[in-house]
Amino acid sequence: MKALDLLDAASAELLDFDWLVEAVAPVSPYGSRVFSELVPFRPGDEAAAESRARRIAEAAEQLHPDRVSAARSLLEQLPDIAGVIARASMAEMLDDPSFLEVSRFCEMVERVDALLPATTLWQPTSGEAMHAVITALAPGHNEPEGFYLSDAFDAELAAARAAHAQAQAEVDAAHGREQERVARELGREEIAGDEFIVMRTELTGTLPEGVRVVRESATYLLCALDYGEGSRSALERRESAFGRVGALEERVRSHLSAIVRAHAPELGVVAGAVGELDVSVAAVRFSQSHRCTAPVVTREPALAFERARFLPLEAQLTVAGRRYVPIDLDLRGATVLTGPNMGGKSLALQTCGFLALCAAFGLPVPAANARVGLFDQIAWLGTGLRERSGGLLSSFAREVTSLKEILERFAPRLLIFVDEFARTTTPHEGKALVVALTERLAQRNAYALIATHLQGVAAAAGVTHFAVRGLKGIGTPPAARDLKDALDALAASMDYTIAEVGGDDAPQADAIALTQLLGLDSEFVEAAYRALSQ
Amino acid sequence: MRVGLRLLELARARRARAIFVVGTGKNVGKTTALLAIYEAACRSGLRVGVASIGPKPRLWLDPNTVFVTARSLLPPSPAVEVLEISQLASSSGPLLYARTAYGGHYDLAGPSSASGLRAAVEAIAARSDIVLIDGAIDRIATLASTDGAIVVSCGAAAAKTESEAVCDVATLTARLRVPAFDPKDGVLELEGALTATMAADFIAAGEGRQIVVGDSTQIVMSGRSLAEALMRLRIRCRRALDVIATTVCAVAPERSFDPESFLAAVAGGTRLPSFDVFAGREVA
Repeated sequence: MKALDLLDAASAELLDFDWLVEAVAPVSPYGSRVFSELVPFRPGDEAAAESRARRIAEAAEQLHPDRVSAARSLLEQLPDIAGVIARASMAEMLDDPSFLEVSRFCEMVERVDALLPATTLWQPTSGEAMHAVITALAPGHNEPEGFYLSDAFDAELAAARAAHAQAQAEVDAAHGREQERVARELGREEIAGDEFIVMRTELTGTLPEGVRVVRESATYLLCALDYGEGSRSALERRESAFGRVGALEERVRSHLSAIVRAHAPELGVVAGAVGELDVSVAAVRFSQSHRCTAPVVTREPALAFERARFLPLEAQLTVAGRRYVPIDLDLRGATVLTGPNMGGKSLALQTCGFLALCAAFGLPVPAANARVGLFDQIAWLGTGLRERSGGLLSSFAREVTSLKEILERFAPRLLIFVDEFARTTTPHEGKALVVALTERLAQRNAYALIATHLQGVAAAAGVTHFAVRGLKGIGTPPAARDLKDALDALAASMDYTIAEVGGDDAPQADAIALTQLLGLDSEFVEAAYRALSQ
Repeated sequence: MRVGLRLLELARARRARAIFVVGTGKNVGKTTALLAIYEAACRSGLRVGVASIGPKPRLWLDPNTVFVTARSLLPPSPAVEVLEISQLASSSGPLLYARTAYGGHYDLAGPSSASGLRAAVEAIAARSDIVLIDGAIDRIATLASTDGAIVVSCGAAAAKTESEAVCDVATLTARLRVPAFDPKDGVLELEGALTATMAADFIAAGEGRQIVVGDSTQIVMSGRSLAEALMRLRIRCRRALDVIATTVCAVAPERSFDPESFLAAVAGGTRLPSFDVFAGREVA
């Protein structure tokens, strides 16, 4: 799944694109190949994006999650037969492991088909070619997951193997008799291995017939037992029988290879379809796991949703046993977002971006409902970008450089999230810069959510103003003893609702209240309130 | 004397489901010992599995033997039952599990990592009554500690003199036979290896507790320092190994020892049943 120029690397990191990629990744090599070529839908592709998301959401509704998991497990175990298909197509003779891979592939794809009833998202992938290959290779099933070039493939092969086995038994018998004779003559129970030691002290007379001395020393003889007349003629018969078995085994392989070759084009098509299926199954699983819904993908730019979640953070909070508060928002062009620290402004930006990304890839979105347009560029500017120390540019200069790149690219449909732009310069000039940026984005009809602590930006730029409601009054500060307690108290006191506000209402002094919640001493807090009132 | 059968009996008496043949060096008769056990197991009607660390010279395997090999090393004939294509790889390429349908010469290959070997042995054990593993001791320690027996091979190829060969095998077996720790007694657990320097410090400090390492391969000492440490410290391990016998190979291209005296010296030095597969002898 490639973002191409929809996202730059820094914005992808802020919106946790990698998390999304992992969450919708397929499990088979076929799926991986399709997935690696997956690119975002672009403006103009709204119908296709909406259709894909809708079909995924419908399949997620229709299928029990256990079936999806079972299908995914089978897909994960699928052998990769791309190489086998290629070799068969080139008229190469296939080896036995290849037959095992092909038969396992065909059988498992049939099992996947049986697990997943046809939906608008996929149709059964197996067909006559698969069945023909399964039937042809069926005699090779020696155990549930194995393959053997069995006698059932060829009556002549069966006879040749019987002859070979007989010849081997004759070799064993003849050589066994020779070993027994030598062992008896040497006074031993057995002669083991190709070479053996005879101690001179044990040797009375000469070595038994057929025993050859490999090396002599003062105390022992290292010997080997040569094959005798009887063994040699049995060996010749065995080699002859072995040659016949080898030729017939190759004949069977050649026959089976021809069958695979004859069906190679269809197998290639099935392999491709399995890849698409795997990608779809992964998306269905994503939708089921995260309670997603199909968005309405509009031809015009839009970004509106109810009860939306930024899944990477929700996953973290779930692990930590904390509650995630979904948000509602209806973005209309360039919009300013204000609110207290820790009120979820940055998270609102990330939620918007994440939903826009899901829609761009034709995925259901983590929201109760959503209306989303497609964009040429989704960009992030401001806080959150990984701070780099050193270098020639200050953090402010880096922001300006990033902004310059975004503006110069001039993407026809730009969705941009601005998080406290120009926060590192003086508030006076910072505000001027944010107003100028907001005006420019509004002029360009960009969809933008501009989070800032600066007052009067929306009014100055003449754009919509949203605000996080913020702290719901704190009568008595909780006895927060550690950070977790403080965060719990904060979450309980914070109203994360985002609502449109008229003009630039005077902001609450939530920052001071937060210092109280986070455990600063009351004297400090009171001093801050006094300073504020002066 | 049927050496292979005796080694098999010793292992079976310990209820071992796997026999690991390790050596003090190269060309010390590991494969000969393994084949002797293999033939005895086949004759006993057992379903035998064979595994190796890294590639092995071509071996004659009887019908119904499960083995692991590289896909590229599978002979076209006689055809084998391909049981499973593994995700493991060896230096010769991807590995697979196979079972011989007919006797023939087959190449063995195996994963070089301990975790890979564990997976291979488990896959073979599921289809066999007993698994024979041609292994390197540092790879098999964690595997062999469960239900495996170890045979240590030594020979003239790995030492210049008979006494040096005896010392080497005595040291190796002493290290491998470090007993398991007693959890009821005082314990000093080491996370990594126990070196000669650390052992000297413990001796100097009069350490009386059990000094516990993961397994005996983490005791990085040899010769005199090992003997001294084993005598003066209570060295123990979490996973004890079961060394059941040694085998000797008195002949090598470079030199040879007197087979009788070498066998007797190894048996005396290791206090283990010792066998000469080539001469068909045992000294208990």
